[in-house]
Amino acid sequence: MTFLQPWVLVGLPLVSLPLIVHLINQRRFQTVHWGAMMFLLSARALSRGYSRLRHWLIMLMRMLAVAAVILAVGRPLSRGWLALAAGGRPDTAIVILDRSPSMQARDRDAADTKLDTGRRQLAEAVATLGAAHTIVFTDPARPPLELDEPRALADLPSAGPSAAPADIPRLLQAAYDHIRASAAGASEVWICSDQRANDWAVEAGGWSSLREAFAALPQPVRFQLLAFSQPTAGNLAVRVTDARLERRATARDLLLSIVVSREDDGQPSASPVSVPVTIELGGATSTVELVVTGREAVLANHAIALGAEAEPRGHGRVSIPADTNAADNEFYFVFAEPAPRRTLVVADDEDGAHDAGASSSLELVAGIPPEKSAVATVDRVPAAAVATAAWEEAALVLWQAPLPTGDAAKLVEAFVNRGGQVVFFPPADPDGREFAGCRWTEWTTHPEPLAPETWRTDEDLLANTRAGAALPVGALAVTRSCGLAGEIVPLASLAGGGPLVARLATRRGGVYFCATTPAPRDSSLASEGIVLYSLVQRAIDRGLESLSPVRQLDAGAAAVVLDIEKAGWTRIAGAATVPVDEIGMQPAVYARAGRLVAVNRPVAEDTARILPADRVDGLFQGLSFTRQDGRAGGTDSLVQEIWRAFLIAMVLALIGEGLLCMPSRRSSRSAPDASPFGAAA
Amino acid sequence: MLTDRQPRSFLDPQSLARLAGVPLVARKPMVGGVSGRHASPHRGSSIEFAEYRKYVPGDDLRRLDWRAFGRSDRYYVKEYEADTNLRLCLVVDTSGSMAYGSAGTPKLDVARRIAGSLGYLAAQQGDAVGISCVADGVVQSLPPRRSPAHLRLVFDVLEAARPDGGTRLPEVLHEFAETIRQRALVVIVSDFFMPPSELESAFNHLRFRRHDVATFHLLDPQEVGFQFQRPTRFLDLEGKGAIFADPVDIADRYRRAVESYLAEVRRIVLASGIDHHRVLTTDDVEQSLARFLVGRASGQGARR
Repeated sequence: MTFLQPWVLVGLPLVSLPLIVHLINQRRFQTVHWGAMMFLLSARALSRGYSRLRHWLIMLMRMLAVAAVILAVGRPLSRGWLALAAGGRPDTAIVILDRSPSMQARDRDAADTKLDTGRRQLAEAVATLGAAHTIVFTDPARPPLELDEPRALADLPSAGPSAAPADIPRLLQAAYDHIRASAAGASEVWICSDQRANDWAVEAGGWSSLREAFAALPQPVRFQLLAFSQPTAGNLAVRVTDARLERRATARDLLLSIVVSREDDGQPSASPVSVPVTIELGGATSTVELVVTGREAVLANHAIALGAEAEPRGHGRVSIPADTNAADNEFYFVFAEPAPRRTLVVADDEDGAHDAGASSSLELVAGIPPEKSAVATVDRVPAAAVATAAWEEAALVLWQAPLPTGDAAKLVEAFVNRGGQVVFFPPADPDGREFAGCRWTEWTTHPEPLAPETWRTDEDLLANTRAGAALPVGALAVTRSCGLAGEIVPLASLAGGGPLVARLATRRGGVYFCATTPAPRDSSLASEGIVLYSLVQRAIDRGLESLSPVRQLDAGAAAVVLDIEKAGWTRIAGAATVPVDEIGMQPAVYARAGRLVAVNRPVAEDTARILPADRVDGLFQGLSFTRQDGRAGGTDSLVQEIWRAFLIAMVLALIGEGLLCMPSRRSSRSAPDASPFGAAA
Repeated sequence: MLTDRQPRSFLDPQSLARLAGVPLVARKPMVGGVSGRHASPHRGSSIEFAEYRKYVPGDDLRRLDWRAFGRSDRYYVKEYEADTNLRLCLVVDTSGSMAYGSAGTPKLDVARRIAGSLGYLAAQQGDAVGISCVADGVVQSLPPRRSPAHLRLVFDVLEAARPDGGTRLPEVLHEFAETIRQRALVVIVSDFFMPPSELESAFNHLRFRRHDVATFHLLDPQEVGFQFQRPTRFLDLEGKGAIFADPVDIADRYRRAVESYLAEVRRIVLASGIDHHRVLTTDDVEQSLARFLVGRASGQGARR
């Protein structure tokens, strides 16, 4: 229970007033010389039981009445289940809103979504608390909003639904920064979320430092979580996993891969459900029936004939009928003819002693496209002639030469900044040249071939396959490796600790270093070609993304990309009215200079599980934390003033005191009469 | 007749003059030394015929009923009721509790007025008056005598009586029952703050010895009503310590205890045939005495 006027509680010692009055009264006794002691002794013997109890009950009632008055004047607040948190009116109320698509779910019998309900309840709660400042955090990338009137939160446009996930740790970090920067007083942080794993990122390492940071704050900070952790029953989500054009003899086909997934609502088995998936493409609409038997149904490579005259690029939308969450019932997609898989291999001397077939191996793996329909070309360029190469068409550069300097380095940097990928292999004679702070040191010949000991399987070029299988990186044998100096992030490390594959941190594009070459005398990269092939083809895929005129972006991340590319984007599909600062946060298709970008919710929004309550509670261990479970459409108030209850308690206590003080029927009669008998005896 | 001219604070001449109109009579035959106005168990020379008895040698021939002899040819002696005087034994409780009086009049003062008035009235009609002051034991005692000078001594004893000490009234009454040689009117003036069972035993003992027992039960209104408001420290007038009590807590039970006690006393006096009068210190003593005298006068002539 909290109090809006906690200073009134200073008066709580007044509860002992009846006791003090009683004691004073006891000390103000009179002395009487008395004869009828036998009756007094008898009365005292009788009064030990109930009378004494009644005496103390009266005292208790009086004390309760005083306590109830004091507590009522303190304006107590009830928070759900009367959370017993001490404190009073906070100086700053911080609201962290999870606006992710999953928060737009609603119960079958409720009109409001979880987000609407949370905003309304938080608006009422914060208004009731009467904090001096009300700050709203909805997006870590944007500055917080300070509300003059807390109830405006319920209608705040920028606190509306979003397709982007909520990054709760970053939002909390932003709240922490705000509290520190503004030197706020006692703060109360209200978090409204549905506890999705992707929003809370509980595996991230920042939670412990965040916890420690909040705990170290001098001002008290209380956390209140309004959790809508009930799974949404019967919610289906649709998504396009792949949209690509395939050229036929006279026309083109659009191959769409569509996934309809069913939210895990805790039911052990779900009955099959038939879902009509509507595909809108160029003004035409078609419907495909999908039967979801388990958790998801996949429609792979659904072909839609576009005709010979069709544009080489385009966009469309798939949707399913309305269900309990409207935010995941549509998905925008863009498509275009794939760009050619062009690779530049920069190598000086093909026949040199050092090369010994390394560059030719690279040409080989880069020249074999992963799909039959794709076209892969490899251009071999000497290091001295890199200026003449077709950089603008290349997706990947395999550089097996001394590191670029001067104009060559500028060319490579521009290529990387455009989104291209570069993989450097060590030259025959490392000469100390540097690129982006990194340089080759010297070759080391290992007496026994070394195998990579660790490598990143979760992301980047050596990640596991989509099926979950690991690349056979451990089967490689490295006979010679070249040392590398600089700030790099190892992706694979040799047994001795030296990096085999490393990455340079870049804003866009990718710069990788491979510490050996595919030459047979250096390693078995060529003979165990799967690793090298996967590495090169994945790098080409990444590079192609920058060449493709169409891109699929996740909401949130799209905001960053579109901001980088600045103005000029035109929304060609999606919600009609989107605030400027919500571009990239709402599902839509944007176009600029022949390029198309489709923005949708991230895939994690459809698959993320709901975190168990104890897991979330554990994140706030050591902090003042209270959870309140909400329900979409719930009309209860989170915070209520309950002084009336205390006034009623006071009245009841006074009535009880009065009843206890009321003389009994026997004693209300007159004292024993002195004259009923006497002479008659 | 009385020669005591000394004013006594406990005697009101006007009140006594009014009360003198009603004789003090015994409810039982008394055995007195001289002729008086009270019934005697023996035959005597009054004008009230009692019975015929066969003549035996030695009888006074003057009492022979010649008319009966003429009718029956037998000698009968005609007998009359005897009238004798009364022996009034006043027993006054002078224990510490008799000092209490919430309205300014201690119970002992009321006791003095009752005992003094009765003594005066008895002496005036020629009865013998004695007095015993009782507390832990017999504090002072005068045997019944008829002389006016003795009445003065009785008044002196009453005047000198001071409330002090505990109460051993039942034991003293047992003692009196055995030591008063002839039938007497025993008037006990006390607050009877003792277990009723002990009183019952003492009353029965007196009744067994054929004494006519009358009691004046003196009570203060505060002792009955217990109208205290503030926490009070009650000091025992009989020196048995003190009790601290909040009247709010115990008044109800106190009154219940008093009621129970009075009901028990009532049962005892009814069962023992005691002439019992409850007198509050605020009551008019003259009226109480008048009620006592009139009640007795209405039952005059009781003989056995």
